[in-house]
Amino acid sequence: MKFMISTYGSQQDYDELAGRPGERPAWSRDDFVAMATFMQALNSELEASGELVETRGLSAPVHTRRISQRDGVPVVTDGPYAEAQEVLAGYWVVECESIDRATDIAARLSSCPAPEQVRARAYADVRPIDEHLPGA
Amino acid sequence: MTDQGFEDLLRRLAPEVLGVLVRRYGHFDLAEDAVQEALLAASRQWRADGMPDSPRGWLITVASRRLVDLLRSEQARREREEWVAQATPTEQRSSSSAAEGVGGSDDTLVLLFMCCHPALSPASQIALTLRAVAGLTTAEIARGFLVSEATMTRRITRAKQTVTASRLPFGLPSPAERPERLAAVLHALYLIFNEGYAATTGPQLHRVELSAEAIRLSRMLHRLLPDDPEAAGLLALMLLTDARRPARTRPDGALVPMAEQDRRRWDARMIAEGVALIRQTMSRGDVGPYQLQAAIAALHDQATDYANTDWPQILALYELLLGDGENPVVALNHAVALAMVRGPRAGLEQLAPLTSDTRVADDYRLYAVRGHLLEMAGELSNARESYLTAAGHTTSLQQKRYLHAQAARLSSE
Repeated sequence: MKFMISTYGSQQDYDELAGRPGERPAWSRDDFVAMATFMQALNSELEASGELVETRGLSAPVHTRRISQRDGVPVVTDGPYAEAQEVLAGYWVVECESIDRATDIAARLSSCPAPEQVRARAYADVRPIDEHLPGA
Repeated sequence: MTDQGFEDLLRRLAPEVLGVLVRRYGHFDLAEDAVQEALLAASRQWRADGMPDSPRGWLITVASRRLVDLLRSEQARREREEWVAQATPTEQRSSSSAAEGVGGSDDTLVLLFMCCHPALSPASQIALTLRAVAGLTTAEIARGFLVSEATMTRRITRAKQTVTASRLPFGLPSPAERPERLAAVLHALYLIFNEGYAATTGPQLHRVELSAEAIRLSRMLHRLLPDDPEAAGLLALMLLTDARRPARTRPDGALVPMAEQDRRRWDARMIAEGVALIRQTMSRGDVGPYQLQAAIAALHDQATDYANTDWPQILALYELLLGDGENPVVALNHAVALAMVRGPRAGLEQLAPLTSDTRVADDYRLYAVRGHLLEMAGELSNARESYLTAAGHTTSLQQKRYLHAQAARLSSE
């Protein structure tokens, strides 16, 4: 079975991660290196166990374009999210025997090094992928 | 023989075997499948039973047999679908005497021209070249470009069908077509290199070394066309650029600009080879854009530090490159060189018209360079603003972090 593990962040979170000076303290170089090292190790491990289908990180919410329609005509909106709104930040698609195993993998993310105030708010979701959708 | 030895041998023979098959039977698309299967069979069987006396002959025999099977089932399928009328036997092509004359390395060159056929998009040219000439598997190519294997399979299949449908004779392009066709080959190799070079940041899950592949293919092309100055120039450019790779990123993947790189970590052997190659090539005249870029890279690589670089010479080379055709990224680098020779004001004046050039007006590099030149000019507050603008224009977290740090450095000074 395939599952998607997703993580979330707001534009503010991204600005901190990118070291943009703001109200809340930004990630230091050491914080950032520790996080990157942890993610590399986790991904390599999931790849070695054969469970990783793919993983991607998304760029900051401000770069989003939203396509909706008005009177049947596509309308494009740049940066549709509010500063503090949490949106998809990254995901892993894993293939494993049960949602419990996928949950274990997602739980590993809670030990990812990060500044204390970030860790306190961070969470991840696990959802089964529907492999029988028409068109999939 | 070691596993690496096996792989190297198989991948060197791959284009030669494919060349022989296409020459004999036509059907580029099926022949390519047959060769891939023969390569897989070889890597299994040779490891178990030892190497045959003639590895090349073995591969040709096995691939030919497989191709005949594929042609039979293809024919059966067509008959079932009542496409008989369309089933022109392309095998007849093999009787053309002109096509039988050469073989081996010339076939490899013909294949390169086929894979970089102008009817294909650059993305398809690259994928097909990596599979048919470099002998990579579809899965490896897919990983290299971070797309799914299914997507890459479709891209390659479509590309092969386009080449087959073009009914291109298996031979070198005519002298009239040759410059344009060779330019397409060089461009495809250049794109493969850049893809690999840009990918040194970001999560690396055993990505195929695309820049190493590009260098291998360019070496091959240079060997096949030793007198072509641009083929030599492209190889030199790749060597001289890749030489800096060890110093280009920090262990956490953060980018290090050239001015701050630890030059002791540059690859001295690659630099020596690249410098010798570009010197020898340019002394013959007939200088094109790859040679000019290689010459610029050579000057950087030979300098003891950023300030002690031969900027006047680099500036002269950028001016030649600019004359060669309008390219906003070249114009950006030209502005930096100009600033290093005649001062930051001269560089900033060069940048001004680029802000209204739609090709770079949204490119973070324009604002990063502008910030750098403003800083040189002592306009620290404007420089800081420009670095922040640059950070807003890139989608890369690593680049944002670098540019924010540049801005932060100026606000604390």
